[in-house]
Amino acid sequence: MSILKDIFTAMRGGASEAGEAIVDANAIRILEQEVRDAESAIAKAKQSLTRLKSSEIKLKREINSLNTDYDDYEAKAIEALNMGEEALAEEVAGRLEEIATERDEKSAEHSTLESEVNGINKLIRSREKIIQKNKRELEKVKTIKEVQKATTSISDNVAATSSSQHRVSKALDRVKAKQQNWRDNMEAGEWMDTQEQGDDLDARLKQSGLGGSAGSKKSSILEKLKAKQKVG
Amino acid sequence: MTITLEELAFRLNDHVTDEGTSFDALLMDNGVLEVVCSNNDEFPLHLAQTDTQLLAVTPLFNVSEVIPNEVDNLNKVLLQLAPAVPLSAFGLQDDTYILFGAMALGTSFEIIVHELEVQAENTIDVLEAIQSLLA
Repeated sequence: MSILKDIFTAMRGGASEAGEAIVDANAIRILEQEVRDAESAIAKAKQSLTRLKSSEIKLKREINSLNTDYDDYEAKAIEALNMGEEALAEEVAGRLEEIATERDEKSAEHSTLESEVNGINKLIRSREKIIQKNKRELEKVKTIKEVQKATTSISDNVAATSSSQHRVSKALDRVKAKQQNWRDNMEAGEWMDTQEQGDDLDARLKQSGLGGSAGSKKSSILEKLKAKQKVG
Repeated sequence: MTITLEELAFRLNDHVTDEGTSFDALLMDNGVLEVVCSNNDEFPLHLAQTDTQLLAVTPLFNVSEVIPNEVDNLNKVLLQLAPAVPLSAFGLQDDTYILFGAMALGTSFEIIVHELEVQAENTIDVLEAIQSLLA
């Protein structure tokens, strides 16, 4: 089941009207139920896996011990043959046969268990896949729901003003005017900075005795006035 | 670390980006966080969360604000513009055209702030681009 297809169908059916649930609530319940079922199946599988695994370990240990026994008796049989104890060697051979039979039975049992463990692991993986897939599908539904909620809360605001013509153009003009204003302020700030630096330069020049000073200007004006007075 | 919308609002209101953008974040009754970016205070972003994502939605305009007969053209233009604004996508929610972005819930505050700033800026760019198709 694909939620996107559900959403598409719902939209074609005109179910995207505000407030109307876009995805069938039943579909969501099914997805959630599937997640829960898969989760409980995994929990059960993990329990039986633990049991199987412990039997498998036990069998493996028994097989190992049988192998050791076999090697032991085999060495003893060879020793008996070397000593010429044919009858004893034959008896040991009989024992070896018993051990081999038991070992083969347990080995067969072990490989059955092993394939069961693999099967359960495979089952767990496939269930986990279902869970992940369904969770992603549910996430899509929730995303649609949240986007709907986020849009609706603004749409109400938009609706309140959307009756005016050229709403977007006007808003854009206001934003751009503000941005221009901000840039102008930045520029003004930069201009002030350069001015201040300039003043600083003037001050330093003055301090070094360079550049005209207000005092000297005043005195030169006074000179001119005195000159005029003489003429007059 | 997942940031809650409350925490995000608190930190946004106290933050100024390198580009000088400040934020005005308000958590509304329905759990949606309204964020006004100073670089575009006419088109607020609305933030909501799912189990795994932080969604940022900016409604652009209503389909009724499009010049009649230009709707198909607008839809085509929006599809063509979409790759140019890869971090935000266009969408249609009911009759409202939206610009939206999604982030993973674990996204850091610095990256969220950057995404919001870019989305607010993209909103102006997109609207300017398609302005002639609006009534």
